[in-house]
Amino acid sequence: MVVSELHSLVLSHFLFTGAVLFIFGLVGFLCRRNLIMMFLCTEMMFQGVVITLVGFSRFHGNLTGQTFVIFVLTVAAAEAALALGLVVLLFRRKRTLDPEAWGELQG
Amino acid sequence: MHIELAKWIPWIPAGAAVLCGLCAMKRQLRMASALICILAICATFGITVLISGSFSPNGNDPVKPRTVEVFDWISIWGQQVFSSRISAESYANENPGSKMIARDGTDGEKEFVVRKPIFVADFSYLLDSLTIVMLYVVTGVGALVAIYAAGYMAGDRGYARFFSAVCLFIFSMTTLVMADNLLLLFLGWEGVGLCSYLLIGYYYDKPTAVAAAKKAFVVNRIGDLGFLIGIFTAYIRYDTVVIHEMISTVSATMQNGATDWKDHLIPFMLMLGAFGKSAQLPLYVWLPDAMEGPTPVSALIHAATMVTAGVYLIVRLLPLFEISPYALPTVAVVGAVTALFAATIALCQYDIKRIYAYSTISQLGYMFLGVGFLSTAGGIFHLFTHAFFKALLFLTAGSVMHALAGQLDLRKMSGLRKKLPVTCWLMFAGCLALAGFPFTAGFFSKDMILAATFEKGINEQLILPNVMGVIGLLTALLTAFYAFRLWFRIFTGPEKYEMGAEHHGAEPDHGVRTSSSVQVEHVHDAHEVSWLMNAPLLVLACGALTAGFLGHEWIERMVVASTAEPARPPMMDEGVQLHGLMMVVSGVISVVGVMAAAYFHWLNRDATERFADRFVATVRVLTNKYYVDELYDAMIVRPLRVVGGIFYQVDRLVIDSLVMALGFLPRALGLAIQPSQRGALQGYGIGMAIGLVSIVVLVLMAIASGHNS
Amino acid sequence: MPYLIYIASTLAAISLYMMMPRRGFQPGKFGALLGAATLGGLWLLLAEYLPEPTDRDVGQAVMVYYYIFSAVAIISAARVVTHDRPVYAALWFVMVVLSSAGLILILGAEFIGFASVIIYGGAILVTYLFVIMLASQSGDSDGRPDHDRIPREPAAAVIIGFVLLSAILTAAFPTAEANLFHPNRFSAAPTDADIIAEVLTSRPVQNLSGENGALAEALAGESEQLSNAERIGLDLFQGHPLGIELAGIILLVCLVGAVVIAKTRVDSFDPKAGTDQ
Repeated sequence: MVVSELHSLVLSHFLFTGAVLFIFGLVGFLCRRNLIMMFLCTEMMFQGVVITLVGFSRFHGNLTGQTFVIFVLTVAAAEAALALGLVVLLFRRKRTLDPEAWGELQG
Repeated sequence: MHIELAKWIPWIPAGAAVLCGLCAMKRQLRMASALICILAICATFGITVLISGSFSPNGNDPVKPRTVEVFDWISIWGQQVFSSRISAESYANENPGSKMIARDGTDGEKEFVVRKPIFVADFSYLLDSLTIVMLYVVTGVGALVAIYAAGYMAGDRGYARFFSAVCLFIFSMTTLVMADNLLLLFLGWEGVGLCSYLLIGYYYDKPTAVAAAKKAFVVNRIGDLGFLIGIFTAYIRYDTVVIHEMISTVSATMQNGATDWKDHLIPFMLMLGAFGKSAQLPLYVWLPDAMEGPTPVSALIHAATMVTAGVYLIVRLLPLFEISPYALPTVAVVGAVTALFAATIALCQYDIKRIYAYSTISQLGYMFLGVGFLSTAGGIFHLFTHAFFKALLFLTAGSVMHALAGQLDLRKMSGLRKKLPVTCWLMFAGCLALAGFPFTAGFFSKDMILAATFEKGINEQLILPNVMGVIGLLTALLTAFYAFRLWFRIFTGPEKYEMGAEHHGAEPDHGVRTSSSVQVEHVHDAHEVSWLMNAPLLVLACGALTAGFLGHEWIERMVVASTAEPARPPMMDEGVQLHGLMMVVSGVISVVGVMAAAYFHWLNRDATERFADRFVATVRVLTNKYYVDELYDAMIVRPLRVVGGIFYQVDRLVIDSLVMALGFLPRALGLAIQPSQRGALQGYGIGMAIGLVSIVVLVLMAIASGHNS
Repeated sequence: MPYLIYIASTLAAISLYMMMPRRGFQPGKFGALLGAATLGGLWLLLAEYLPEPTDRDVGQAVMVYYYIFSAVAIISAARVVTHDRPVYAALWFVMVVLSSAGLILILGAEFIGFASVIIYGGAILVTYLFVIMLASQSGDSDGRPDHDRIPREPAAAVIIGFVLLSAILTAAFPTAEANLFHPNRFSAAPTDADIIAEVLTSRPVQNLSGENGALAEALAGESEQLSNAERIGLDLFQGHPLGIELAGIILLVCLVGAVVIAKTRVDSFDPKAGTDQ
């Protein structure tokens, strides 16, 4: 039997914080009407995921969770670079950051 | 001695066809394609000459047919294992063509394997004297026509394409005549059909040419369907498609008299194929239209070689036809009726090439008449001489066309003897032979057929051959008349002519002013063709005049030495001999025909008008070719069109609406959920989140329920 | 226990909804109070269940830091979502990053904590601020377009979000019936020490002797003395070489893509489409 490094209720506290950050990010992504803010909220969801991953990593005494966070950071950085570039491009074209302005493909 | 060379006969033109095709890509190389084609066909002719020595019968020695194998094409063998040699050998003896192999079995005992052919159709060539005769015709006429065409087609856009197709045709035709099994023969048969299609539609920007090519192809399909059914039935009946094996089976059947219905079906089906390819009633309609192709093609394919394939087929498979008592008489009746029918149409036509086309149909009818009454030698001999004089006639017609810029209408030319002296006398030679003027080629071959027919009728006291013979004589009279009607019309009388609108084979810079029908407007006047084109015509003319006299003995020996020798030869020796009488009768008839033509079309042309006025109805029927095309249109094409229209409507209304209804389901679904695609980014986000929530809740509920249980 | 979570989620949802900016009456302050009360009540109720501290665990004292950092993180997150000015939202997000880095430090993952502060708080947030400056219209409060301030369908978003939250928390907090995260459920997962030991013993020894004392000692079986960064390095490069390569490729492609996007010329500026609807 593997001995846990963290009591499961303590783990639950960290999971709680992670979940709250994730959900706040989700709510912000769903209701904010500024493209930049929407991306910022996705970054906040990442933060929630990072806390969860590190919590599990500690709980299991297994480094893979922390290693995975590095990949999360990679994706976040890539997303920030590309998505923000695209946002600037979109802004230059229509002078607005409202995603509703880009509804040409609606059914 | 050089017999193995024979396997190269089809393949040299095949290679040349590819080379010519490659030449078509480069403008500078186009002229080279004619040379390649001529060299290839001459090479095959050379090989034919080399190997023919081995097949010429000397005295009474029968010449064994030889089979030259090229490669295994289709071979399916079955095998049976025996433990004792005796039973294996008896099994092998029961099944001809099987091979026995002894080997060590699994249990150490010797065992004997008998392999028996189930379906074998190799790329093998059957060489016998009949094949040699056909090869002479195909390669000899082919070479001469190719030389002529090198000049005739000069300056044409599709020069290389033309020669590529001609080479392909020679490949297919030699494969056809050399095939040792029906399947390979069918391959060649379809190959010549394809080349015919390609060459009739050679001027593919001309709608009539395209229509004619299609017509030829479709009409031939009807015949080929019969041919295919014949091959299938033959395989079912004889368990093989190899010709000599079939023939030996048939001979055995004929001796023990155990025929069944398939034996009667096979010849009639094969006959259908032969009638389609050789343009006999009722499938002849494509041949006159096929004259839309270039004239050398008409000469080579639609007069000398391809259309005789039907005659060759029947002669090659003669035992299969003899086994049914009705098959050959049917062939003869169809041949004779076609001969008369086409000859009457030829009387009232004005298009030179069409007259020759009907003449070809008529002469092919003669060949079938001869073959039908078991005068295979006569049929093949007529095929041989006909190849000479009809090729000559077509090519001289081509020269006239060449001179008059595509003019083919007999009414628009007259008295060209001065302008085209060489062509005039060359065509005269051809017309003599066609008319069967005494001592020309056609005279001997026609005589042989008619004599055989009457001999059969008299010696066996049958009505049918006599009637057919009379029809043959009548046809001979008409033939002589229409052949010289044409010649007198073109070359005698006052010199006047109109130029045509085309310029086949003219140099590219030959400007034809628009709508020029008056000679002055045309840049060049009527002129004699070059000697490059006339040289092969001279050879053909010599053949047309002398081939009958020199060749009839040889042909007869060659044919008799082959599989085409009738199993029940007409009682030559016992019955009356009519050759001498027939020579006199047919000679007189042809002279009468020529003289009549001379009267009506040379000396007293006005009489023709008066004569025609008295038989207005007849002339109209003949001019319109008995309304056969119209009849076919009304009886076959229109009903088919109506049926097609019905099918189209059914397809459009029933099937299409069904399919559309099916297709409408997903469309309706899409229409239903289309509004959800608002184009709002966050709408999609909410959708994703709802999905995520549902999945998470469901999974957790599943886990919780798993714990509780 | 689940009912506690459901009640807390509902209250938190109501408070977040109240905090959302809107036209007219702004009940944001009351929402914030309700939210703080909910959070505090939840924690007070949960604290009873906290176990006795052990050597291996983070300990009672450290849990105090957890509550501080967690409270800061959650409050900052709420402000990120509800603030009507993007620049301030981004700055609140810095607070989220910092406090979650603190949480990560509590968990003993120093490398990740510092890395996320440097990368998130430094690089990425600066980029965001730049872009917000680049792509915002006039700075004054009245002229700012609606879409920056007023959220769209906040009720739907909040309901969905908190249904998901209550579902997750139901799973995250162990109950008597179903403890999803009991160690026994994951007994197959190898521990950190096992992995490091295996990684180290499988390395060629020659290159490690001498220079790197810590690794050399670890070779002798004392992997406990390795720092967190060293462990992550070993796990990353030994256990996930393909992942490293792929991450590198992603970054390279992203770099190229960013250059291409930056060089794209936008000519067809349509003034009519530019107006806010």
